[in-house]
Amino acid sequence: MKVVLEVSNLWKFFGKSPVLRGVSFSVREGEAKVILGPSGAGKSTLLRCINLLIKPDRGSIILDGEEVTAPGVNVARVRSKIGFVFQHFNLFNHLTALENVMLGLIKVKGMNRDDAFKVARESLLSVGISEDLWSKYPAQLSGGQQQRVAIARAIAMSPRLVLFDEPTSALDPELIWEVLRVMEKMSKERMTMIVVTHELGFAMKVADEVVFMDSGAIVERGPPEEVILRPRNERVRRFMERMQYVYSLK
Amino acid sequence: MNGFLTYVPVILMGVWNTLILSTAGFLLATLLGLLMAFIEVFSPKPISITVDWVTRVLRGVPLLLALLLVFYGLPRVGIALPNIASAIIGITIVDSGYQAQLFRGAIEGVGERQLEAAYSIGLSKWAAFRYIIAPQAFRAALPGWLNEFTIVLKDSSIAYAIGVTELFTQAVHVAQVVLDYLQPLILVSIVYFSICYPLSIISERARRKLLAMGVAAV
Ligand SMILES: Nc1ncnc2c1ncn2[C@@H]1O[C@H](COP(=O)(O)OP(=O)(O)OP(=O)(O)O)[C@@H](O)[C@H]1O
Ligand SMILES: [Mg+2]
Repeated sequence: MKVVLEVSNLWKFFGKSPVLRGVSFSVREGEAKVILGPSGAGKSTLLRCINLLIKPDRGSIILDGEEVTAPGVNVARVRSKIGFVFQHFNLFNHLTALENVMLGLIKVKGMNRDDAFKVARESLLSVGISEDLWSKYPAQLSGGQQQRVAIARAIAMSPRLVLFDEPTSALDPELIWEVLRVMEKMSKERMTMIVVTHELGFAMKVADEVVFMDSGAIVERGPPEEVILRPRNERVRRFMERMQYVYSLK
Repeated sequence: MNGFLTYVPVILMGVWNTLILSTAGFLLATLLGLLMAFIEVFSPKPISITVDWVTRVLRGVPLLLALLLVFYGLPRVGIALPNIASAIIGITIVDSGYQAQLFRGAIEGVGERQLEAAYSIGLSKWAAFRYIIAPQAFRAALPGWLNEFTIVLKDSSIAYAIGVTELFTQAVHVAQVVLDYLQPLILVSIVYFSICYPLSIISERARRKLLAMGVAAV
């Protein structure tokens, strides 16, 4: 299967302290990769490097065969091929739900309004945002609705890859499922995605591979049943025991 | 009546100069304020800090001082301006410091998250400013900007000190002729009020509407 993203030996320092210490992995087309790990492990930093929001100090990132970390690369063009879903949704406050989705189609992809509207409509409907919500501003939507609009904004651009950074961490528990369900559907439709999350149930159901990060490095990786239920690494085992305490109903 | 009514048109003639003074001074201050705000937000630290310091100094200058300085002071160095031009320049100088602060707050208030989202869909730096930062900053600044105009309008009466024939000056002259301050000054109050009140209503409406959209005004 075709490789969409290849991250090799990625290093990032903030000041003197290394936040990423030689991270390498690749993502195949249609794959859902879930990244787990404790706070401060460098998960957000990794996603932000891939999206070129921050520049890694060493290592390379290859997207669709193009080295995007090379000097002289058109950063905006690369970003338009990668969707990003943020923890705090980050919808454009001054635009309606529909306009949030249409903006990139018009200003980045150069579509006319009619075509942009058709694409935006498809995206919004696919995440379950019905027409009565399209003219609402973000402040008038629930958290779950905002995050689904944000997902629609990302997928409308037909990205090669969508990155999710704790997409449900800012949501009330009852709204989490509606976002996870949309993400599960995306994965079934073979969208390539990297998801940073603490939702182990989602990881079990959807992940093709789970990657566990600690202190800037990948310490364990494998199928979700292995990493989550039978971790080999001591640090991962401790993490999973704590998660069991939080989430287990038995 | 002590002949006051016959002088009402004389007082109202002052309205024109008041409007010219305050509108011209205010709009020029907007241009200058925007320029300084952009420099403060987008230029390297040393320049930004210098400009910030300049705006503080400007905000510290009493308008009366600025007017006297421009009208009576500048001729000493060979720059003699008519009193109305001096008043406009004085208002521009002082108010630009306040407007710079207003616009800077509005731009910075938009926040990193909006910018990151703009970048994430592939907007360039310029496009992110044009389509995301600027519209939100503009909305956030609008209520404060309208309020600022009402302040400038009232402060323009200080141009009385350099003899500009604006609303307040006319009223005082009429008062001296008809030997009654009460009626002319009440008329002047009504004029100021009837310009400022609608503006403050619009400003308040804008503020509330923006809040409903999730944009907090500065
Ligand atoms: N801009 C920055 N400047 C300095 N240090 C930073 C910056 N961004 C992140 N860090 C540090 O880098 C480390 C990794 O941060 P990162 O946000 O990538 O962790 P994370 O795995 O996403 O954690 P969390 O679960 O809390 O989101 C942390 O120690 C953080 O304090
Ligand atoms: Mg994080």
